[in-house]
Amino acid sequence: MLEKILPKEIYNPLVERVSFNALNEIRIRADKPIVLSIGGQRFFLGEKGMTGNLKEAIIPSRVMIEDIVFRASECSIYSVNEQIKKGFIVTKGGIRIGLGGDMIEEKGQIKTMTNFSSINIRIPHEIKNCSLPVFAHILHDEHVHNTLILSPAGSGKTTFLRDFICQLSERNYAFNVLVLDERGELDIGKPGSIGNFSDKISFARKKVGFENGIRSLSPNLIVTDELGQEEDIEAVRYAVNCGVNILASAHCDSIESFQKKPSFSKIIEEKVFSRYVLLSMRNGPGTIEGVYNENFSRVTKY
Amino acid sequence: MLKYILMALLFFIALSIGAIVSAKYRKRANFFKALVLICQKLNVEISFSRERIKTLLASFDDKTKSQLCGLTENYLAFIDQESPLDKASLFKGITFLKEEESDLIFLFFRSLGRSDVDSQSKELKNFESRFDEMVSSASQENKKYGSMSMKLGLIAGLAVIILLI
Repeated sequence: MLEKILPKEIYNPLVERVSFNALNEIRIRADKPIVLSIGGQRFFLGEKGMTGNLKEAIIPSRVMIEDIVFRASECSIYSVNEQIKKGFIVTKGGIRIGLGGDMIEEKGQIKTMTNFSSINIRIPHEIKNCSLPVFAHILHDEHVHNTLILSPAGSGKTTFLRDFICQLSERNYAFNVLVLDERGELDIGKPGSIGNFSDKISFARKKVGFENGIRSLSPNLIVTDELGQEEDIEAVRYAVNCGVNILASAHCDSIESFQKKPSFSKIIEEKVFSRYVLLSMRNGPGTIEGVYNENFSRVTKY
Repeated sequence: MLKYILMALLFFIALSIGAIVSAKYRKRANFFKALVLICQKLNVEISFSRERIKTLLASFDDKTKSQLCGLTENYLAFIDQESPLDKASLFKGITFLKEEESDLIFLFFRSLGRSDVDSQSKELKNFESRFDEMVSSASQENKKYGSMSMKLGLIAGLAVIILLI
């Protein structure tokens, strides 16, 4: 998909000189060097591939960025404007492109975004079996514990969730899984990328997606990415009250800082989640730091 | 005998030139009418279905596409390429447009898909009204010069025959 989005000046050195398997992020800013995030480290992109030398870095223009956004929308910005209003575009294949530019507001509502000046392309990865080390701790008597995956940004939460769904499917746990893919990142478009027993609701807010999904699809398990707002927490409580299990993720760099987050205080107190899996970048994205129970005692150490 | 063959040939050539010139005016009028139709259809489709430009342009009927003399195909080729849109490739095979007309049409295609629904809709309405003006001027040209070209071709052919006789 990237070959259809990126101009040759950027795509050619990327594809010829950079390992896509290790590439996590491409940051393209107008009149500034292109930065690649590879395994937690940052490099500039030059004509000859990765470089640490600023002088060799490719400097994209604003027009180039506008064109990338235009191409990413399949030459139809209006068709992805609802995503643009939230600050991103998701292309076919689950590549999320974060956008920086001018937000246009009208009557207190975001109307659209124009004059794109920077983009952040996140490359989705499929890391087979990355959730296996903790699989047995999340699954309990043929049931999935309500589990929250915690990690800093870019540490493999989404990849973990995607792999867990596949592991369930491969092991013939025929749970009806509802994948609430608010940002279109969980399903990367490959056949079977979210297992064989999954239904998907995309680009819906958690509150709406949970309510509609539970009513219409009767899931046993809801998998969703990036809980954060009060509304998301209420949606989780609603689902749990309906007897649906939750596997979700949230931004956080430690168990201690998570416990201090005000928006999660209620569900921590109510012990809604009985498992917390902490991921980090220590040995590259997806490093499992520990599995904790509802009292934040370690179930196991890694 | 040779004289009669030459007369027939010259008559045919004069008539053909008249027909070609006349067809050019008709083609221009139909071309702008098709552009107006495209604006209207895109406006409706974008406002309701929000379907991608590529799908919408590809879905136009063959008559409209042929009236546009390959313009939509040229634009669709740009969508599939990585290079920026340029006038030469957009108007490949289209020779009957004036400079200011091709500038406006280029601007139209360059603005396609570049904004949100509201802005795109306003742009399309604006282009539609400007293409409408072109339709009326091209239709007038067609009325005035289209039939005149045919008549002139016929008269020129007849004049050649008379001269040769």
